[in-house]
Amino acid sequence: MKQDILTGNEAIARGFYEAGGKIATSYPGSPTVQIIEACKAYEGVYAEFSTNEKVALEVAIGGSFAGVRSMVSMKHVGMNIAADPLMTFTETPTNGGFVLITGDDPGLKSSQNEQDNRLFAKFANMPILDPSDAQEAKDFTKAAFELSETFETPVMIRITSRLCHARSILNLGEREENAKSVFVKDDKYCMIPPNSNKAQFFMKERLEKLADYNEENTFNVLEEHGNETLIITSGLVYNHLKELNLKLDVLKLGMIYPLPKKYLTELSKNYKRLIVIEEMMPFLEHELILMGIPCEGKKFFSFTGELDSQLIYNGLLEAGLVTGQKKSNNMTLETVNRLPLFCAGCPHRPIFDILKKSKAKMVIGDIGCYSLGVLSPTEISHSIISMGASVGITKGIKKAMGLGQPDEPIVSLIGDGTFFHSGIPGFINLLHQQKDFENMTFLILDNRTTAMTGGQHNGGSGTFNNNDDLHIDIKSLLETIGFKRVIEVDQYDYKKTKQIIDEEIAFNGISIVIAKGQCALKYKVKKTPYYVDPEVCIGCRTCIKTNCPPLKMKQYDGIAKLKSSIDEDMCVGCGICAQVCPVGAIKLVTERNEVKS
Amino acid sequence: MINIMICGVGGQGLVLTSGIISEVARRAGYDVKTNDVIGLSQRGGRVWANIRMGEKVYSPNIIPGEADFLLAMEPLEGFRYKNMLNNQGVILMNNKIIYPSDVVFEKADYPSEAIEKMLETYESYALNATDESVKLGNKMVANTIILGMLASKLSIDDKIWMDVIQERVPKKALDMNKKAFTLGFDYVKNGS
Repeated sequence: MKQDILTGNEAIARGFYEAGGKIATSYPGSPTVQIIEACKAYEGVYAEFSTNEKVALEVAIGGSFAGVRSMVSMKHVGMNIAADPLMTFTETPTNGGFVLITGDDPGLKSSQNEQDNRLFAKFANMPILDPSDAQEAKDFTKAAFELSETFETPVMIRITSRLCHARSILNLGEREENAKSVFVKDDKYCMIPPNSNKAQFFMKERLEKLADYNEENTFNVLEEHGNETLIITSGLVYNHLKELNLKLDVLKLGMIYPLPKKYLTELSKNYKRLIVIEEMMPFLEHELILMGIPCEGKKFFSFTGELDSQLIYNGLLEAGLVTGQKKSNNMTLETVNRLPLFCAGCPHRPIFDILKKSKAKMVIGDIGCYSLGVLSPTEISHSIISMGASVGITKGIKKAMGLGQPDEPIVSLIGDGTFFHSGIPGFINLLHQQKDFENMTFLILDNRTTAMTGGQHNGGSGTFNNNDDLHIDIKSLLETIGFKRVIEVDQYDYKKTKQIIDEEIAFNGISIVIAKGQCALKYKVKKTPYYVDPEVCIGCRTCIKTNCPPLKMKQYDGIAKLKSSIDEDMCVGCGICAQVCPVGAIKLVTERNEVKS
Repeated sequence: MINIMICGVGGQGLVLTSGIISEVARRAGYDVKTNDVIGLSQRGGRVWANIRMGEKVYSPNIIPGEADFLLAMEPLEGFRYKNMLNNQGVILMNNKIIYPSDVVFEKADYPSEAIEKMLETYESYALNATDESVKLGNKMVANTIILGMLASKLSIDDKIWMDVIQERVPKKALDMNKKAFTLGFDYVKNGS
């Protein structure tokens, strides 16, 4: 049999392909970005990163209506945006198989919250499959399409960030061609009352049938060793538990909602105790308790973060199921920290340097690479909530200032990806009941890519990237909406940009500054590097404060004082350090070579 | 079971490196699981990966104190994850320093002495793979030097390593990668 080693994300894409899937959509967000990137490599698949998760879900609904197997994948918080179509789509009988992948992030490794999307599936009356490795990620994806078409239901596959990126070996299968006819025109797809009233009964019966199906334990595995305690778990947590090599009785659930009540009730009678091990919320624990099956769980295991083998062992120790010492799960020792920073040549660097020196007292941030503006040494952003939220929040703050709160200059940040995702409605709303002299400055950081997730396309990236087909000009769009004061700047011209931003912060009204510098990483910017002339450098550290990776103070031979230096391998030649230097000590290496020769 | 801990700085190409090792291990007949930390990885923060290979692997995570190899793509990062190693653990290090912000801002000293002490305590092989790779033509082959170092410590056929590297690196960089691999391999084999 043909084998490969794939990540959980790649395995899902493979499962989609083998199941004959045709439409795959998403919005880039860690940890699920790779699914669409992997889908794009398969023949006979249409894959896209849509404008946002709501649109992605809608495109996949269209695919399902048209009779083809369709899949939408998203980061956990994407579900919040996609919830509107989902909560109504789930009332309709699914035609072409429909699978929703949610990438949950226990431990918040790259997220603003830790929401447990298993609750979303329950909320939407849909079943959940929870794979534990790449093989299951693939197998469950294929099975999910079967379930979806058999029970006319959307199916959630819930995967966690660790498993999204973990590789393991799996067997590959062939693609099966699989399409149904286009949906037949029917009231069942028109969700207005009384059709939607009937749909409530349809969903209830559907869930009951799914629970009956789960009684067959197609996805659940019981391991028995004759103990008095039964462990119930699912997903990657199962493999962390197995790693401990304990002879425990374990029920590994593959289909974690709706649960098989009859089976679990009977099984529980064989045991004195049931212990649930699950990450984040006590979802399974609560389901069991609702079924009248007594169990324990969260009293031994953390409500937040990942559960690795060590934490599972410690919980079992507390529960009295193992003996010994607590295990440490601390991977690192205390030493100098290493915070992430803007890349060499990053267009955000001059903007944040300018903002730090500006009169802006309040800076409302948003989601993107520029989230780093919260961290040391920039420490300029005062809030980050969710995609596109900065614009609405800024308006609210300004209106509150108009009603007696202390008035001060306010700057709002938004990237191009976030602008297209969900920032535009906020901008439209700004002009509603706008008053004169409401001073708000919006900085749109248009680096022409969705950078933080690895450089995916967005509504404006076609301008720089020949492979992208959307060329929306943000300035024209904003002017069409009705904004009068929209200024484009090239932030690599530091002095001019600083002057404009300072003027706009002082301007008593709404102004929008679009910074056009492109992502240095995505567009592989590499120009002539700079060097520091230690004879000219006064050691003032103005350049160092821009926090650029190649810059560091250095002890030069024969010079007592520390002077700045540049690692020429790392420097991409953006020239910001040279422009902020008060004495002109930073020059192109070509100038030094001229001196030498 | 062989546990390999890799650590470095975002942008150093750890995902590609762990991908090559895991595919080599698979072809050599091992069960394999890996665990890559992906997130803000391209922006100079700390990154790490785990590779576990053996007859049957359950968890992709290495338990602290159970790593057989520490592949440190940067010295401070190697030091940070030192406790992942078991007592017989081997350190393979690119000793090219990438300074963290706190050192650049003169808020903290780079722990050079502690790193030296660590290298003396364990069986260690450290060289400036970045400088060596620049000499070979491109700093991006530094990790291939480290792969060569690892290969000389694992008993997996060289041909498997070469096949996988060939499939995963750009064609025009193949020769450079072969040279880098051999450089690392010989460095450990000859003990210097």
